[in-house]
Amino acid sequence: MSEPELVFRPKPARPAPAGTLGVIGWVRHNLFSSPANVLLTVLGAYAAYVVVSAVLDWAVFNAVWEADSRRECLDMVGRSGACWPGVAAWFWNLIYGLYPKDEVWRINLGFLVLVAWVVPLWLERVRSKVAIGLSAVLVYPFLASYFFLGGEKGLIWSLLIAFSLLTFVWVLATSVVERRTGRTLAETLLARVGAADADPAHQRRVLLWSALAALVVAYAVVWLWRLPETPTNDWGGLFLTLVISGIGITFSLPAGVLLALGRRCDLPVISVFCTVFIELFRSVPLITILFMFTTMLPLFLPVGVEVDLLVRAIVAVCLFASAYMAEIVRGGLQAIPRGQYEAAAAMGLGYWRSTALIIMPQALKIMIPTIVGQFIGLFKDTTLVSIIGLFDLLNMARAVGEDTRWLGLFIEPFFFVTLLYFVFCFAMSQYSISLERKLDTGHRR
Amino acid sequence: MLALPRSSRRAGGLIGWLNNAHVRAILYQVLTAAAIVLLGWYLVHNTVANLDARGMSVGFGFLDASAGFGISFTLIPYQEGDTYSRVFLVGIANTLLVAIISIILATVLGLIIGLARLSDNWLIRTLSRTYIEILRNTPLLLQIIAWFFGVFNLLPRPRDSLSWLDVFALNNRGFYMPAPLPGPGFEFVIAAFVLAVAFAVGLKRWAHRRQDATGQIFPALPVGFAAIVFVPLAVFWVLGAPLAWEMPELRGFNYQGGLSVPPSFCALVVALSVYTSCFIAENVRSGIQSVSKGQHEAAASLNLKPSWTMRLIILPQALRVIIPPTISQYLNVTKNSSLAIAIGFPDLVSVWMNTSLNQSGQAIPIVAMTMAFYCAASLTVSLIMNQYNRRVMLKER
Amino acid sequence: MRPHTLLFTAAAAVASLGFAGAATAQETLAQVKERGHLNCQVGLPTPGFYGLSDDGTWSGIDVDICRAVSAAIFGDPDQIEYQSVTSAVRFTSLANGESDMLSRTTTWTAVRDTQLGLEFTGVNFYDGQGFLVPVDSGITSVMELDGATVCVLTGTTTELNLADFFRANGMEFEPVTNENVNVIVEQYLGGGCDAYTNDKSGLAARRSAFPDPSAHVILPETISKEPLGPVVRQGDQNWGDIVRWTLNGMIEADELGITSENVDEMMNSDNPTVKRILGVEGNIGEGLGLDPDFMVSVLKNVGNYGEIYERNVGADTAIGIARDGTLNAQWTEGGILYAPPFR
Repeated sequence: MSEPELVFRPKPARPAPAGTLGVIGWVRHNLFSSPANVLLTVLGAYAAYVVVSAVLDWAVFNAVWEADSRRECLDMVGRSGACWPGVAAWFWNLIYGLYPKDEVWRINLGFLVLVAWVVPLWLERVRSKVAIGLSAVLVYPFLASYFFLGGEKGLIWSLLIAFSLLTFVWVLATSVVERRTGRTLAETLLARVGAADADPAHQRRVLLWSALAALVVAYAVVWLWRLPETPTNDWGGLFLTLVISGIGITFSLPAGVLLALGRRCDLPVISVFCTVFIELFRSVPLITILFMFTTMLPLFLPVGVEVDLLVRAIVAVCLFASAYMAEIVRGGLQAIPRGQYEAAAAMGLGYWRSTALIIMPQALKIMIPTIVGQFIGLFKDTTLVSIIGLFDLLNMARAVGEDTRWLGLFIEPFFFVTLLYFVFCFAMSQYSISLERKLDTGHRR
Repeated sequence: MLALPRSSRRAGGLIGWLNNAHVRAILYQVLTAAAIVLLGWYLVHNTVANLDARGMSVGFGFLDASAGFGISFTLIPYQEGDTYSRVFLVGIANTLLVAIISIILATVLGLIIGLARLSDNWLIRTLSRTYIEILRNTPLLLQIIAWFFGVFNLLPRPRDSLSWLDVFALNNRGFYMPAPLPGPGFEFVIAAFVLAVAFAVGLKRWAHRRQDATGQIFPALPVGFAAIVFVPLAVFWVLGAPLAWEMPELRGFNYQGGLSVPPSFCALVVALSVYTSCFIAENVRSGIQSVSKGQHEAAASLNLKPSWTMRLIILPQALRVIIPPTISQYLNVTKNSSLAIAIGFPDLVSVWMNTSLNQSGQAIPIVAMTMAFYCAASLTVSLIMNQYNRRVMLKER
Repeated sequence: MRPHTLLFTAAAAVASLGFAGAATAQETLAQVKERGHLNCQVGLPTPGFYGLSDDGTWSGIDVDICRAVSAAIFGDPDQIEYQSVTSAVRFTSLANGESDMLSRTTTWTAVRDTQLGLEFTGVNFYDGQGFLVPVDSGITSVMELDGATVCVLTGTTTELNLADFFRANGMEFEPVTNENVNVIVEQYLGGGCDAYTNDKSGLAARRSAFPDPSAHVILPETISKEPLGPVVRQGDQNWGDIVRWTLNGMIEADELGITSENVDEMMNSDNPTVKRILGVEGNIGEGLGLDPDFMVSVLKNVGNYGEIYERNVGADTAIGIARDGTLNAQWTEGGILYAPPFR
């Protein structure tokens, strides 16, 4: 007797209701799930339509793209459409300021060098990332300032530029060699001259002499290499904005670390001084600091010493940014568990070594997204230097409307500049978010 | 290995003395203090020399001089012939007004946008995210200018004002509203209001204590609210409504009478609130998201009403995350109000650090007074908010 | 070294640094020559006076004063660093030595001359404050502006004159201020104020760029005196003299008819005044520490006063202020331009 085999046969699943699938399902679920949501959707869509169509009408459909002066634009469309030729005529000024046109390649080259300098940081198999990163922060500025400023250079200045140039060559060579062979540049060099197995002292001597020789060559190059002076008065536009925020962030990082350490240390005088400094600069608006430095810094310096307006603005931005950076660093330090300090102390490390080797690396890793955020903030804040009369993006945009041909053209350059800022800041903030995700491993429970 | 440092320390002398941690601590501090004092002295010395060389005088004497320029919006009475010290006060009052109103609006707006960011409606979620991203990633200064020219400068002229019931009017000269003119006996209404508020606070305390002791719930909130609204109203009617309104009227060039704020004020407040609301919205979102799902589930398993869950379980925990960054946003509003200079609203920086400095040439006292005001304001706000923060924080166990 | 010895040494070192700084302050002319260029402060770009074009060059009647000084010192009108700063920091920037001279429509007033460490070296443009109103407002006189909202640039004498004028006439007004002309003009055009007040030259320049210039009218009254001129730092007499006599030389050349074109022929003139200006006779240049023929260089490279006027703000320019019959005409032609004798 065979019993019929009882096998569980699941019925094939019915297809999901048509209304929950595909575009319709998505729309129903995400846009019209309840009466209130229907209302919200309709209102939201209407508001979006009104804003977007008004902006597009003005900026694209009614806009004038070819004209020789604002008068022509006004004759064509009045004020209902944008007059873009004015912005186009001033485009290069908006980017480079009044920098002499045939010297602009120096700015481009300077930024290209920076890109080439930091690209290895994102490449795999490059081992000397710390050294490359530090050199980009500490050494690159010398080369860049000569690129941008040009002019006469004394012995020390030439040496610094030569050193910077040499470092750049080293960065390129080392990242190529490390990617190709996986060995450091020094090892490869020694292998080339057949000193791979020599004793360390001899190896060190070889390396030292070759570095010195390279420095001499670099010095000769720098000595022969002359760039005409382009004073900071001619700097402007996006270039100036990037320079100010770049210097601000680079300076504020080490200064902020020192201030934060000072604020947390046990010595009352130092801690009070750091706290007062941080709180003072954080509690007043950047614009008052800028005003103070433009009007008062010259009074503080010895009679007859002149300080460039740009330098004054940069000093103000640096101090302001350091105070903020100090608080970011302090936050990062506070996030390090006590155990780390104790472990470092148990290993017999002193204050400086435990800070530099154990605490700071961890704290900096936590802080990277916040630092990027701070950089975005600083980048936006540099618009304030226009109020003290530096020709940054914003003031350059104003200058368009003062050109006799484009007299009164005011909204269009502003619109363009806003767009430019948005592109930069949005890209950076997206990068910061992705960085946050990438770094956010292991530490969270 | 160990013997070496010990012997060198025993050897005494300068090295050994310097290796003593206490001595070193004091030495560092003395050096720092000396450096600061020297720097200060150096700056003062240079300043005196510079002022001497340029034949410039410094002092607070100019404060009593007549300023001689008009100010477009003043919260406290001001005339062209008034002194510079009056200008300073006018600037402070205007700055505070902008900051306070913007903070309130930014909080409300930030809360709404933050909740919209968590909405289950895709369009609303996307729109609020776009709103946040666009506004967060463009400089505030540009936004202020955009609001001013894109919106408030495009409003109709006074003759074609947008008006509501002939009570409020909005045109490109500003926003006009009736001014209250309290009659005799109005002070009693105010007194009644103060008393009602005190009563409501007392009631809340009493209800709380009774609930702790007996578990009985007393609807303190609605009762207190009713007292605050109806008691002063009753007094007001009993006294025969001692309050008149001065209506703004279109006379000559523009509306006269009533209360009014200029377009630059509106643009500044709107720009500040909108810009700050993005950051507050993000705080709200991350605060609410930081409360773990288990808390919702635990509350539901206790059969708490959804509104109670929000009020008693989620909000107190979310607030702990929301409040500290929001405090710094409030401080930022106060500082950012200094950007008023770009559209000519007479705040402290614009009217004092720019116009007055330019007209009187007295850089040092003017800059010092401005910085002193901002420091004081910031410290006060952070003191108050830290106090509040501490109270919220206490709920953590 | 004991701690306090250390302190004293450091203090002495710092102090000596400070005094060394003071000692290096030298005469402006020598500084300028050593530097190789003149630091000339102008304002934020304003057409006609210090305009900036998209190729990065500056031009205007105030810019030409700087170019003249550069030509007088170097024989080349373009050895100049233009410093374009806001009006808020213009005087501090000059006083602290950052700029050598300031040429940016700055009104000569007693307070500025006496209390701010400045020295006014003459007048290169006589201006006066006026009001611009829309034609359809029906206003024909300043006295009808009682209760009006008035747009004005902040930080200027204009702002003070406005308040003074209304107070003096017992009228009320509401100011709308900004430090950016473009912002003010946008507001005026949008109807944010009933009238826009500025120096009349500025009003004319702005009106020329309006969508419909004929819809706006400049009221006939002039409510203030605005003598605009170059300014130098107080305390260096010789430098002030150089700027003053370069300007005076240009005005005198205009009166005598010496232009950039005929300057070479004029060298052979028999007129002793012409000879003195061009350095053929006398030693005025040496007295200033310049070459005897410094005015030849100025006139060749920049031109006389009449030429720079016509080139930048004259009837044929966008600004379009005809010179005849205005204050800026020569005294011989009904104006008040009157250079002290060049002897």
